[in-house]
Amino acid sequence: MFELIFLAIIYLFVLAKPAQAYLDPGIGSYITQLIIGFSVGGGYLIKVYFKQIASFFKDLMKKNKQK
Amino acid sequence: MPQKKTIPIKEPSSFRDPSGYVFYSKYNVYRKINEQYKDNYVEFIKSGLSKILIEGKLLLSFTEDNEMNYGYKYLKVAKIPFISYPYEWSFSQLKDAALLTLKIQRMSLEHNMSLKDASAYNIQFLNGRPLLIDLLSFEKYKNNSPWIAYQQFCQHFLGPLLLQSKTDLRLNQLSKIFLDGIPLDLVSKLLPKSSFLNFSILSHIHFHAKNQKAYAGKGDKKLKLVPKISKTMQLGILDNLSKLISNLNHVNAKTEWGDYYTFTNYSESAFKMKKSIIKKMIETANPKNVWDLGGNTGEFSRLASDMSISTVCFDIDPLAVEYNYLNVKKNNEKHIFPLIMDLTNPTPSLGWNFKERKSLLERGPSDLIMALALIHHLSISNNVPFEELAKFFVDLGKYLIIEFVPKTDSKVKILLSSREDIFPDYDEETFEKVFLKYFDILEKKSVKKGSLRKIYLMKKKSKINEKI
Repeated sequence: MFELIFLAIIYLFVLAKPAQAYLDPGIGSYITQLIIGFSVGGGYLIKVYFKQIASFFKDLMKKNKQK
Repeated sequence: MPQKKTIPIKEPSSFRDPSGYVFYSKYNVYRKINEQYKDNYVEFIKSGLSKILIEGKLLLSFTEDNEMNYGYKYLKVAKIPFISYPYEWSFSQLKDAALLTLKIQRMSLEHNMSLKDASAYNIQFLNGRPLLIDLLSFEKYKNNSPWIAYQQFCQHFLGPLLLQSKTDLRLNQLSKIFLDGIPLDLVSKLLPKSSFLNFSILSHIHFHAKNQKAYAGKGDKKLKLVPKISKTMQLGILDNLSKLISNLNHVNAKTEWGDYYTFTNYSESAFKMKKSIIKKMIETANPKNVWDLGGNTGEFSRLASDMSISTVCFDIDPLAVEYNYLNVKKNNEKHIFPLIMDLTNPTPSLGWNFKERKSLLERGPSDLIMALALIHHLSISNNVPFEELAKFFVDLGKYLIIEFVPKTDSKVKILLSSREDIFPDYDEETFEKVFLKYFDILEKKSVKKGSLRKIYLMKKKSKINEKI
């Protein structure tokens, strides 16, 4: 939900008004990646760290059991 | 006597990428690498990415051919038995191809490389699973750079998948019109309003389409003012795309023939008998490859593929092809390949100079064509005379297993119930007379005593006499 609100704010206030021109593959896609990257990059990092921490504890539990 | 040298043939679709091209010799497929791709190729090998992708069966295997010594390098690549295109794939085939592309991009980033394109045409199916065939798609990753193929990925994969999932399964055919992927503004228009409430669809499609228009022609100057995209941000985008696509399902529509085999005209014993007749006919023809036309969910195709014969099962019904593919995956089948094909309008040659994407005919002929319980659909529903049918089949294959379904059959009666019978010549005698101009009839069988449905094994005549 946070992501959705975040995107809506950027969408409404930050971006320029649409120009009447042919589709350009470059900068529009770059901006899109930038905004999505900001929205989901942090979450992804947390997910990766959480997985690492979880696997660390799993390994620890395994070692304790083996002992 | 000196051996006659075969002239290599360049693949007509291999012209866009200046890094190299594909060509064929008599028996092998090669990829030439140009000098300008050297650094990227060296990194691709040195980083271990090529090895890990080939071991994981995600990339077409290749060996360096040192006998050819002009140009930078030549790679001898594995052969794909049947080249197919996204507009012939079912929903899950496209979905698996999309997820494969994302997985390869993720692995590439881990090896400090990146996919420079994400075309659906770079994916082909081998042994029942998708794999990347473009060995020159990899380039060195530049720190904090965006994924250059992101837009192409959205146009080739995400857009068509969302349209099939949220709007209509038949919209897969849009890929036939838009060869470089469906424009995102069109995808945005065709998706239901509810899709605006999904963060991922809102951002990758609606927002993306809007941005393309908003920033069209603005050039690179603005790029210098905006922050860079870190690798973590890119991995986050890939993760988000993977999650979105993994959770997509096709529209659960009940199509025309999806449940065909539960309403077959044969009893269980007759159905077994039919299978046994066809199996023996396949053994007699002894083909290297089979095309089963109108093969539905692949019940009879499997008679061939279970004998390790490379078999393509075509059907017009996207849902039948979908079920077939899901079975291929579940049972890890290697020799059957389900594809969508409307035989009344088969895939034409498309793209640049009519040669970029091949027609069905250009990808043939096959050793054996199967046309079971099909003829009445083509003749009666689509008004194709026997003569035209025979000409069509003779162009596609050497042997033909064909089932004649008479007017007295309940399935034909259904087809005729809603229209005028303008087919006075639709009978077994005329069928045989016409087909004998093009084929020799090797065998003719009834599935059970007294049955009016007949199964024929025919072989293309060495000289066709159309005057008879």
